[in-house]
Amino acid sequence: MIDWAAFLIVFATSLIGATAIVSLYSLGLRLLTTAGRVPVVAPAEFTDAITVITPEEAAKAAKRAAKAARKNPLTPAQQNLARAGAYVCFALCAGAVLFGIYLIVPFFHQG
Amino acid sequence: MELVTLTVVLVIALALFFDFTNGFHDTANAMATPIATGALKPKTAVLLAAILNLVGAFLSTEVAKTISGGLIREGEGGIRIGPELIFAGLIGAIVWNMLTWLLGLPSSSSHALFGGLIGAAIVGAGFGSIDFGVVLSKVILPALIAPVTAGVVAYSATKLAYRITRRYDGKPDGRDGFRYAQIFSSSLVALAHGTNDAQKTMGVITLTFIAVGVQAVGTGPELWVIVVCALAIALGTYMGGWRIIKTIGTGLTDVKPAQGFAAETSTAATILASSHLGFALSTTQVASGSVIGSGLGRRGSKVRWGTAGRIALGWLMTLPAAGIVGALAAAVAHLGLVGIIIDAVVGVGVILTIFLISRRNQVDHSNVVSEVADSGRAVKIKRNPKPKKVKK
Repeated sequence: MIDWAAFLIVFATSLIGATAIVSLYSLGLRLLTTAGRVPVVAPAEFTDAITVITPEEAAKAAKRAAKAARKNPLTPAQQNLARAGAYVCFALCAGAVLFGIYLIVPFFHQG
Repeated sequence: MELVTLTVVLVIALALFFDFTNGFHDTANAMATPIATGALKPKTAVLLAAILNLVGAFLSTEVAKTISGGLIREGEGGIRIGPELIFAGLIGAIVWNMLTWLLGLPSSSSHALFGGLIGAAIVGAGFGSIDFGVVLSKVILPALIAPVTAGVVAYSATKLAYRITRRYDGKPDGRDGFRYAQIFSSSLVALAHGTNDAQKTMGVITLTFIAVGVQAVGTGPELWVIVVCALAIALGTYMGGWRIIKTIGTGLTDVKPAQGFAAETSTAATILASSHLGFALSTTQVASGSVIGSGLGRRGSKVRWGTAGRIALGWLMTLPAAGIVGALAAAVAHLGLVGIIIDAVVGVGVILTIFLISRRNQVDHSNVVSEVADSGRAVKIKRNPKPKKVKK
């Protein structure tokens, strides 16, 4: 019948792997905004939506966001620290992607 | 001998066509969410998926033996699978794949293939030829487990993504950055798909060659088989199963970048974990479960359970339906040369009919997400009032 032990291992591994990567990337984004990054993608206040607003709306939103970002309460040193932290998070995510490729390509782990 | 040659040629043609349908059926698993969130333009997304599938098909060295996978008792004291049975099984798998594509249902291509082969084997060699215990533990139970597992993982990941990036002070939350990550997470899924699914067709063709004695037992696929299978699946992927992309990307829930990233990462993690820890799960079912899970994980989003139910019903039907078509085709194929030709003609007729019906309401790269974008705009303006000015 079904191998429940194997299933539990698969479940735990996927859960830990996926949540760890998503958390790291989210943390990286959070640190970047803390460091004063202005959103690149158009609608600043609709960051979470599909981009269907007009270019004018987008430009306005970006301006507002830039203004808000300039009022950053952090000192430049703190901003740099946050930015460095963000890059560490992204690097770890990149590492996870490389590990994924390593797992997908049999040549790497069977050779 | 002529009959055998004709059958083998037909099997190769059908196997390649199955590979093609497999490609466009499964584009959605990797690319539905990045297309839905606008992380990738529809055409770019399918091109990327096609290239990764092509590359993936060459990377792996897994071979034919995984296809029969113990479902059909072969070898000593078992039955001999003739090419006409494989032929019948493929017809069952293709017809079901085309039908689910027409309905926009993401169903598992491997289950369709297994179903077709099982149906054909039952007609060809009786019920004794099928190991139903293996069918239950390898096909049916995983079909229940896969979406739930992926759903729970995606739910947790989505919750975390929103929790970590949530800001109460009205400043940019940086969630737009999830778009870039989506490109990588969905590419991983596409690559994993290429290493798995093109193998199935190579396995079927190799199995046929072994069955007719052209190739020695236990050898891997020929180079030209690998090349044509890789090309067939890549071409199928590039054609894009827009109907299924629409269902997964916009039919289950309205996917936002953070959700899409969480869902794709969960799909990739679950598939990689399952294929490396010996508990195989269907890519299609994992991907659909992830999207539902991420829909449950975001505040204010809702899952359309009607669509989810339709998809689940499709999964339940896949094995028996492909099996019945496979069994019918096998019964006709028993007539010999005439039967094989009847099968081929009827099969092509069904495929053409489905294709013609699909022309009536075309779904392609130009209209795959436009509707949801429009409705999203309407909802968005209502739901997102102008942000309060932060006064300092």
